[in-house]
Amino acid sequence: MNQAEVIAKLQTIFDTVFLEPVVLTPAISAKDVPEWDSLTHISLMVSVEKAFGVRFRVGEVENAKNVGEFADLIIKRKLEP
Amino acid sequence: MDIGLLKNLLLKGDPEFWVQLKSLTKSARDFEELFLLSSLRKKAHARKLENPNAPAKKIRLAILGGYSLYPLHELVEHLCEIDGLPVELWQGDYDNYISEIMDDNSELYTFAPQVVFILPAERRCTYTGHLTDARELQQAAAKNVVDSILELARKVNEKTRAEVITTNFMLPARHDLGAFRSRTLGSNWSFRKWVNLELGLNAPSFLHICDWEFLANRLGGLAARDERSWFESKQPCSSALLVKLAREVTQLIFSLKRAPKKVLVLDLDNTLWGGVVADDGLEGIELGDTSPRGEAFKAFQKYIASLKQRGVLLAVCSKNDLDKAQEPFQKHPEMVLRLDDIVSFKANWEPKSENIRAMAPELNLGLDSFVFVDDNPAEIEIVRQFVPEVTTILLGPDPSDFVAQLADCRLLEPRSITSEDAERTSQYRSDAQRKALEATVTDMASYLESLQMESVMSEFVPVDVPRLSQLINKSNQFNLTTHRRSEAEVIAVMNDKKFAGFSVRLKDRFGDHGLISIVIGEKVGDTMKIDTWLMSCRVLKRGVEEEVLNELVRLAKGKNCTRLEGVYMPTPKNEMVRDFYGKMGFTLTAESETKREFELKLENFQPAQTKIKIIRRAYEPS
Repeated sequence: MNQAEVIAKLQTIFDTVFLEPVVLTPAISAKDVPEWDSLTHISLMVSVEKAFGVRFRVGEVENAKNVGEFADLIIKRKLEP
Repeated sequence: MDIGLLKNLLLKGDPEFWVQLKSLTKSARDFEELFLLSSLRKKAHARKLENPNAPAKKIRLAILGGYSLYPLHELVEHLCEIDGLPVELWQGDYDNYISEIMDDNSELYTFAPQVVFILPAERRCTYTGHLTDARELQQAAAKNVVDSILELARKVNEKTRAEVITTNFMLPARHDLGAFRSRTLGSNWSFRKWVNLELGLNAPSFLHICDWEFLANRLGGLAARDERSWFESKQPCSSALLVKLAREVTQLIFSLKRAPKKVLVLDLDNTLWGGVVADDGLEGIELGDTSPRGEAFKAFQKYIASLKQRGVLLAVCSKNDLDKAQEPFQKHPEMVLRLDDIVSFKANWEPKSENIRAMAPELNLGLDSFVFVDDNPAEIEIVRQFVPEVTTILLGPDPSDFVAQLADCRLLEPRSITSEDAERTSQYRSDAQRKALEATVTDMASYLESLQMESVMSEFVPVDVPRLSQLINKSNQFNLTTHRRSEAEVIAVMNDKKFAGFSVRLKDRFGDHGLISIVIGEKVGDTMKIDTWLMSCRVLKRGVEEEVLNELVRLAKGKNCTRLEGVYMPTPKNEMVRDFYGKMGFTLTAESETKREFELKLENFQPAQTKIKIIRRAYEPS
């Protein structure tokens, strides 16, 4: 899976969670999306982990600055045995 | 219905949104699913799409504890609102619950909660000494943990009169300590079990335990925890358990406000036994220890018998000829349930909806206190459609699951079991004998005389509080004002001198009816206002009403009142007492859609003579 494919799959998750349509790009981040608050974030991460079958390590999601970095993190965790 | 369609309803501003939101919420199991539904609910409010059926009144709920209360609060708020009991929420700060409760000037008290939900911190429930310390030391430490929680609960209840709910503690799920863990109270495993037991066994009546240990155990110890979410955002448990916790606390808040179901109506063929008795004959039905299926049906009957023992009334509704339907109850050696366990037995060819409807007046209970159990979807459907007040349970295809289905239905749980619940079946049965006697005695006066009735009237006393609150919250028909009161609110009335509250017990030669009537008068100047007057319909027209009025007048005069003021507030269920005050000699003074007001001047009042012997009066030494 490359970054574009991951973002495309993320898009379907975001479409479910958010009422107002959001078009995901590598540069977009939580502060650009009014509905993406800290509460929604918790739920979003639970959905992402289930959809991709990954488990992030403690603290690392908050280090991702935007959707692109977040997608890279998903790829990294997916490559793990 | 899926989320996409629900969103469309929201975007269109269609109130059908609320109907679908409710049904999706009922079936949602996953955290993210429920959370999403909740965020759509909040967005609907933001867009001014309101639920046309939402009650206007909100319950003020405070949540506080040793964890981050986001997003637990969100799930609780959602579930309460969807279930028709919206809450106004106040959240404590992370791990600030002790000072929030102990500080008299805290915001918690400004908020004036009606229900307080506390999640005490797990890390304070651990033994800090050595594993091999003397057991007395370890027990004392456990008692300290319990006492500190009880003290917090007492303090918050004293200050606010709120009902208090506290979680207990999850047990560890790791192998740590191995087999030694159960040989010492110093391990978290044993220590927390001990604390949980002590907490539950010593909780006063205003304190309700949200049994986190049980919920985690049900889900599975490993699935219950998520260390990462603790480090990242101070979450109390895994998101999967958070959903269960939110559902449980919602259930508890509900049970504070609504009475449990009272009657279990049972189908017979393929419900209580395998096969069809009219076709297969008494010997042909599957029941008892000769086959696995027969064992399963017998186990189901045993479970039903245990429900009866804790106060649930049993009834039968079957499409059968009466004699064939009753034969197993009389003759089958493996039957657990017998005819005298059943308060109403309907076996005929009328629709089940009509049979159940007919049971309600027979037992003097509202249809909304009935649960109907059947293995046949068509019968369930007809009852759903024609008596929607009745809750239905469609049994699955495998009788070995029947017990689990009832045990998980959450409809028949006692809030606090009173000994009078357990007596109820015998009361209803002796009612039937009494009616038989009524038929043999020609005039009413000699009938009442023959009952040899005795009554005890008592001011409110602590030991009666659970029963008082129970009756106050479940009486619908003979209830002039339908003012509901929680146990905490009953205690408040008991301790306030301006109120004259009393309860009435009645027994006769067929049995003890227990506590059957409650009155609360409030002295305002020279007037005694009747805040509450309710009575169990089982004892109608025996003279209890008259004796209660005699007592009320006596107490009012004792408080230097010259008049009684009574009000009838109509509900869908209390039409029967619309003219009650008029019949009791009161004068109608004002009338509107929402109430009818009456007064009674005390100077000319003559106490009525009845056939009831008064053993004791309220506020008098016994």
